[in-house]
Amino acid sequence: MARAIKCEPVDVVVVGAGIGGAAFCKHLSERSPSLRIVCLERGGWVDPSTMPAYRPDWQRSVLSQWATAPNLRLEAVPPSPSADYPIDDTASAFKPLMWNGVGGSTVNWAAHFPRLHPSDFRTRTLDGVGDEWPFSYFDLEPYYDLNDAEVGVSGLAGDPAYPPKARRPMPPLPLGRLGMVAARGFDRLSWHWWPVDAAINSVAYGGRGSCNHCGPCLIGCVNRAKSSVDATYWPKAIANGVELRTHCVVQEVVIETGRAAGVRYRDAGGRDYLQRSAFVVVAGNGIGTARLLLASGLASPALGRNLMFHPAAYVRGMFAEELDGPVGPVGCAIYSHEFYETDERRGFKRGVHIQVTRENALLLQALRLEPAWGRDAQRLLREEFRHSIAVLVLAEDLPEPNNRVLLTERTEADGLPSVRIEYALSEHSRRSLDFGLDRAEELLRAAGAYRVVRLPLAPLTGWHLLGTARMGSDPRHSVTDARGRCHGAANLIVADGSLFPTVGAVNPGSTIGALALKIADDLGREIG
Amino acid sequence: MTPEFLRAVVDTLLPGEQGEAPLPSGSAAGVDLGKHAETVRSVLEAIAHAAGGGPAFARASEATRVAVLRSVEQELPDAFRALVTPVLADYYESPAVLIAFGWRAEPPQPQGYTLPPTDEGTLQRLDRVKQRVNLWRE
Repeated sequence: MARAIKCEPVDVVVVGAGIGGAAFCKHLSERSPSLRIVCLERGGWVDPSTMPAYRPDWQRSVLSQWATAPNLRLEAVPPSPSADYPIDDTASAFKPLMWNGVGGSTVNWAAHFPRLHPSDFRTRTLDGVGDEWPFSYFDLEPYYDLNDAEVGVSGLAGDPAYPPKARRPMPPLPLGRLGMVAARGFDRLSWHWWPVDAAINSVAYGGRGSCNHCGPCLIGCVNRAKSSVDATYWPKAIANGVELRTHCVVQEVVIETGRAAGVRYRDAGGRDYLQRSAFVVVAGNGIGTARLLLASGLASPALGRNLMFHPAAYVRGMFAEELDGPVGPVGCAIYSHEFYETDERRGFKRGVHIQVTRENALLLQALRLEPAWGRDAQRLLREEFRHSIAVLVLAEDLPEPNNRVLLTERTEADGLPSVRIEYALSEHSRRSLDFGLDRAEELLRAAGAYRVVRLPLAPLTGWHLLGTARMGSDPRHSVTDARGRCHGAANLIVADGSLFPTVGAVNPGSTIGALALKIADDLGREIG
Repeated sequence: MTPEFLRAVVDTLLPGEQGEAPLPSGSAAGVDLGKHAETVRSVLEAIAHAAGGGPAFARASEATRVAVLRSVEQELPDAFRALVTPVLADYYESPAVLIAFGWRAEPPQPQGYTLPPTDEGTLQRLDRVKQRVNLWRE
């Protein structure tokens, strides 16, 4: 290797420009303006005008350049704008999904934006499973509120499933026919339901326009109504003086005598740099962060272990009446937390999140059928298209050391060791999912579905990459302390979903953002 | 790989429907397997071979063509999927097909769509939910 070019030392270097890194950089730069902060991002910016939603071939983009899985994007011709690395997921029940670039996975997320429940922070005390978070929901609450305001949330206050939340920054998105039909089912069963909190503008907010319900949020949002941190946190962080260097792949956190000295990274031209820094912050998601810290030789027995997704499954219900089809933000309508808290009579601890979602585009609906071709497939598709509701069930994974991220002997094109994940669905998760699927089916029938189809496991749902650098007090079982500081190197900080000791049963974006703000505050308080 | 053979493959995968609400077949919708033929040549050759030749496949009844495709699908599932995916993509993105499904030919943007406003009855029913005691634990 050629000698690394030495960069001028800085106060804080951040690895990863997704929601964790963006929230951290914006908040720290605001609270401690004298600090010199550099963020290194392996990918680049995505120009919204190049996103597929303007093109007639937009549907097929989710099979190639805009696939949710990096392993699929890596096969795309021409290449995807996401700067991906391969992940050996052959030993995992769920396929990891993410976006690698400025904005991270908020570029192609559904922007469903729930919070954890207070009980999610205390599962060991309350239910005898999982582990405690080192702080409570109420400690994080001010950061949830701040994150909501920064990201921009549409929703409705007053939900009895949560402690009172501040008035949502924007009114809820319209439920659509699909949401109203599903609400009818929940009401017939007297179950809880509520309009989702969505990080999508229902009205103009934050200098961004309102959603025009085009549908395919997962191929990027061309008009920026969907919040992604490249459009929210990053412009402010950069205006505050944070330097964001794109197409820079961090190869190693340099650890010298128990402290992080900085990072070594490679730019798009293949040149190596040494960036010294007083603090190193890693926010590369539950796989990327673990990969980098393992590759850097951080000594921590829990590192890479306890990988958690949210196990997911669906029931689809078919209705005689015409519904919205793929119109409207795909992850948004309503949700139910009727079964979110533990009820031991169900035969498992913890609970499930039930979310009413919208249909896929026509091509994906067609490819989902088995077989996807022939006269019967076409008839079935005509019957179902614009007449179905998909109800998503998310369960709570519990931390299990054998579910993990690990390195292999191989070196990838990005210069880092190849990464592999091992994840088996536990019996507990299976029981939770089956219970949730039964309830989803009950709901759909109550709403008027004449036929339901179960998908007992949805492998291509591994968005939530959590738990692999968990917080805790015991270095044998956790990687960082409550402030995200690594036990093995106190100036090495994690600021993403890797930190979650447990994960609840809801999407983590809201909590990752809030947590990163809290960690920035903790650091800022210490170093000014 | 004659045009007749390629058209027969496409129309066996996507026969469409006649009747009051017609759905065009694959070839009628303009799907041209010829442009993918090189990348899926091996599976096309397997289809022709299983049918006793390309012309025989093109002349066969629909039931026979379906049986041939099923046998090849079973034998070469990945290659067959690699054939089906681009054919379905061309078909389900074609304006005639989108319109036949009650959809529109234009992409999602820039015009987007309109969702109906949430009706009063639904919002009133939300009052029932609001009255419930806390569903969360400390």
